[in-house]
Amino acid sequence: MKSTITKALMALAITAVFSSCKKNNTDPVAENPGNYVLAVTPVASTGVADYLVTASSLDEGAVSIIGNGVEQDGTYRYYVTTGNKFFSMLYGQGNPGAVTVYDIKEGKLNKLNDFTAATVQAFAPVNDDILMVKVPRAYAATGATLANWYIVSATTNKQTAEGTLDAVLPTGNGEIAHFSWLKQVGNKVFAPYFSIIGRTFETEHPDEAGIAVYSYPAMQYEKTIKDTRTSFIGRYFTDGLEVVENGDTYAYSSSVAVKGGVLTSTKPSSITRIKSGTTEFDQTYLMNFETASNGYVITNWLYVGQNKFVANVEPKATKGAYVTGKRLAIVDVVGKTVSLVTGFPEATTISSITTTNYSPKDGRYGYVGVNLTDGTTWVYKIDASNHSAVKGLKVTGGLITAIQHIK
Amino acid sequence: MQIKKFLLSGILCACVIFIYAQNSLSGLSGQIKTSAGEPIPGATIKVLKTNFGTLTDANGNFKILNVSAGNYHVQISAIGFKTQKREITVTSGGPQVVVNFSLSESSEQMETVNVVGRTKAQEVNRQAFNVTAIDATKLYNTTLDISGALDRVAGVRVRETGGVGSSFNVSLNGFSGSHIRYFIDGIPMDNFGSSFQINNIPINLAERVEVYKGVVPMWLGSDALGGAVNIVTGNKHRNYLDASYSYGSFNTHRSVVNASVTSKSGFTVQLNAFQNYSDNNYKTDLPQRLLSQVQGTTETSLRRFNDTYHNETLIANVGVVDKSFADNLLIGITLGENYKEIQTGARPDAVFGQLHRRGNIIMPSLKYKKTNLIKGLDVTLNANYNFGYEKTIDTARADYDWDGIRDPKATIGEREGGQLAKYMNNNGLATAMASYKIAEHHSVAVNNVFSTFNRKTDNLLIPANNALDPAKKVNKNVLGFGYSYDVENKWSSNFFGKYIHQNNVIGSRGVSAATDKMGYGLALAYYLNRNLQLRTSYEKTNRMPEATEIFGDLENQEANPALKPEESDNLNFGIIYNFQINEINRFSVTANAVYRYSADFIYNRLNNNQTKTVADNREGVRTLGTDAEIRYSYKNWLSAGTTITYQYLQNLQQYEPNYSGVSPVYLDQMPNIPYLFGNTDVSASFRDVGKKGNNLTLGYNLLYVHAFWLYWPSLGGRDEASDKKVIPLQLSHDLNFVYSMKNGRYNISFEARNITNKPTFDNFSLQKPGRGFYLNLRYFINKS
Repeated sequence: MKSTITKALMALAITAVFSSCKKNNTDPVAENPGNYVLAVTPVASTGVADYLVTASSLDEGAVSIIGNGVEQDGTYRYYVTTGNKFFSMLYGQGNPGAVTVYDIKEGKLNKLNDFTAATVQAFAPVNDDILMVKVPRAYAATGATLANWYIVSATTNKQTAEGTLDAVLPTGNGEIAHFSWLKQVGNKVFAPYFSIIGRTFETEHPDEAGIAVYSYPAMQYEKTIKDTRTSFIGRYFTDGLEVVENGDTYAYSSSVAVKGGVLTSTKPSSITRIKSGTTEFDQTYLMNFETASNGYVITNWLYVGQNKFVANVEPKATKGAYVTGKRLAIVDVVGKTVSLVTGFPEATTISSITTTNYSPKDGRYGYVGVNLTDGTTWVYKIDASNHSAVKGLKVTGGLITAIQHIK
Repeated sequence: MQIKKFLLSGILCACVIFIYAQNSLSGLSGQIKTSAGEPIPGATIKVLKTNFGTLTDANGNFKILNVSAGNYHVQISAIGFKTQKREITVTSGGPQVVVNFSLSESSEQMETVNVVGRTKAQEVNRQAFNVTAIDATKLYNTTLDISGALDRVAGVRVRETGGVGSSFNVSLNGFSGSHIRYFIDGIPMDNFGSSFQINNIPINLAERVEVYKGVVPMWLGSDALGGAVNIVTGNKHRNYLDASYSYGSFNTHRSVVNASVTSKSGFTVQLNAFQNYSDNNYKTDLPQRLLSQVQGTTETSLRRFNDTYHNETLIANVGVVDKSFADNLLIGITLGENYKEIQTGARPDAVFGQLHRRGNIIMPSLKYKKTNLIKGLDVTLNANYNFGYEKTIDTARADYDWDGIRDPKATIGEREGGQLAKYMNNNGLATAMASYKIAEHHSVAVNNVFSTFNRKTDNLLIPANNALDPAKKVNKNVLGFGYSYDVENKWSSNFFGKYIHQNNVIGSRGVSAATDKMGYGLALAYYLNRNLQLRTSYEKTNRMPEATEIFGDLENQEANPALKPEESDNLNFGIIYNFQINEINRFSVTANAVYRYSADFIYNRLNNNQTKTVADNREGVRTLGTDAEIRYSYKNWLSAGTTITYQYLQNLQQYEPNYSGVSPVYLDQMPNIPYLFGNTDVSASFRDVGKKGNNLTLGYNLLYVHAFWLYWPSLGGRDEASDKKVIPLQLSHDLNFVYSMKNGRYNISFEARNITNKPTFDNFSLQKPGRGFYLNLRYFINKS
């Protein structure tokens, strides 16, 4: 009888053999408390959520999402900061998107609230609010084709108003105005758009730029600012407007309008201007980006102050509606100069460049996230004064999707 | 004495009763009793030097038909009794020979230990494959469906998104989804549609359910890679009626009627009908962000309001049994339909008020089976064609919050763009199987399964699109060959190969291409002694992309025409050991260890917009796992058992696409897969309660699933502030009570599920039903 018990125990013991398998451990990186927030998406093609980590400096040091970071449900997220609050928004097409609001306490993220909002294609701080707009991609079967807008108070962290906009009205050509982004200019909301005929994002009007102007907070349509010297302003999910210190607004066009799978705009990639206090394009100002840069188009920009931008640029030959330039250049919109940044990694070694970057707007420095094909990820510090770049903060475990600073 | 004990050889075709045919035939019948006069069920009757043999039924009766005239020696054996031999004479065309035996008890044969319990279809369990058979008959007085019964097997975890009829995903040793294939009586169920699935088939339809983990035997012809589930409906009685009805919480009604009538000449009519209905209006706990949109309530959990499910299915077969040309030849039809409301998307944030789905099955079928067509040759043929359709209806011009109030809107569809599409997959299936016993220990078998798929979509919302509908066709053929060598109670070996040919026509890509793959495997079992069996199996296996993975399902699965076949090495090792401390305390221990390596592992991920899932390949995934079951019985009235499963799935993809550096999740544990879980059950049966022939059974079941992470375990902080998403620990206690009268003719049972009413989740944020009570009435009568 004793032996049968022994045998039984043996059998059970075998079941316990396959139990201890440990993961490889890269050297752990400690938390890095501070007021910078980085959103990091793991380099992995499944089971991916974003992680928010804090950093005390972007110039040096390291952060890691291995064992650190506040997990954000869902793969596609967008981040916006207003004042001392950080909004993390889930983009789930067609489904409601969850929004989580944080502030920073003692260098750590502190969750204030979460709520459900519609999935939107454009959002921006306006006054003390976040304005969000959900834009239709197809004509309504019956009735007007409408966009929905929502206002979330950054004071109470709650939605305070919502309404609809006629999405066809601004273009005046029968196409849908798909907002590329939103920007507060004075007490108005400027909404640059690309004109589309449906889900393919094609247009019959590739050589027109348009910005719809709305009152705030009523969101009443007032007029459309138009220009035929360039193609549309901004790009899908990309901010193409910036207001500089003197109140003038600058706008860029990548010249990437499409029809039938082919780029159709005849206008060069350019920067235009709307003078402070006016709601018309300044016809005396036009910067042909392609000639100024000697053959590049602009695909995104980061304002660093004093009329200077750190721009992503792409050779004209390889431009596309969703191609983001892997080279950086310093653009002076007043001097109309473009200087390629030195000390930045070769374009062939770059997997992607972060879309939402940070600048203290001191007229000199910009911080841009770079994800290299060797799997390492860095924040590069760009000096606009001598158009050079140096490695700063190292990020382990994933790609930087946003760099923000919270007071 | 309800212990069944099968000791037949011929492991290839389990559960075959050999019947032999020649010109002038007769037969023998009789009853086997103990010396005290008690009938002995499960005793083996063998006509020596022939292929004839059978087992006694519950009343100790047996019958062997179609024996040609001559003198024979009949041998009777039963565990715990002395074997007897007797000479008999069968006369040509004469009456059946009636022979009754009374066996005397034998202590020397008591070595083989019988543990009383609920998962004891032992003949199957003793195969060389890593297989567990659930004895479904023990569960007839429950309201379980097949998936509910599977959930109690070691190594198996069934993940459900909600209540009755909700989406389910069976995981076997960490493999899940289409890695696992389902069969009913050996016929693949791949193409049966949503109206006939393991989450709506009641357990009463089955006699037993076989669960093959990892290595899948050749005679289940398929490209299963993670394992297979075979529902054996059996043919227990020639004439019987089994009807049950249950009613319970959340307005749940279930009915099952199974009946069969067989004439003396062998003409038979078999009917199976079942129905499920539930409002599924159980309460769901909601986060504050959703509650804030619901006016006028202080509740933190709200009732579901768009989750009604019902299905109705009828299976009818007409034909002949026990004829010289066929053991059975049946023409049948399966008719069914289902209706399912869809309450939420992948998260409770997306809540729907009108979105629903319908589907049906109209499937004629042909079944033929003959053992000993010529001596030693068994043949099985099956064919069916499904004319059914699936339809998704999303045409509401409204939105809903969790308050269930309709908020009208101008645009169509609760999901973006709306949907009203109907599709037919036009699935056809033909299987043929032949096995031949070359000599006493040697047999060979050939199996071929051919299936077709040709989807036609009817877009009712935008009919103009129908003309543009690109071709979607898949033809698949699986040819298997097997050889087995068995020495009864000593060892068993099985070598097999599978050749898969698949042709895909993908109109949208202009592709028409064929893929060919060869797989092979070996299964060995060795008995150290009567009570200790060791077994091991290895298979190199291939899984082709499924039609729904290539073309999507127009609802939640997005198309991926570029999906590659998956290839896997499966290795299993197992021990089965039965022992007893004394005559009344008996134990059975089963332990298995598995190793899997899958290249181009097919898994489902969210698409880029996170609205649907899409199948994709992952370079490599390794699984190391172990599961164990221990059962104990005291005399024959108390039974208890525990299963425990641990599995470690590891990501072996070292490089992510477009990166040269080592992935941060290389060697990490795969996320969102339960890895530690188990069950415990205790049941006690009391005989002759109240009245002779009336029995009472009390049972308790505990389900345990350890918490697991939704996303990669190594990433992100784990403190509370880091908000790491977790599927919390599940503990669910179920109680049941069965009172059966007149030896099982009338049964009343009462079940209480999840009695502590703790929220349970299989999938992140998708809550399952809380506490529920169910009353079940069943009537059973049979005449053999």
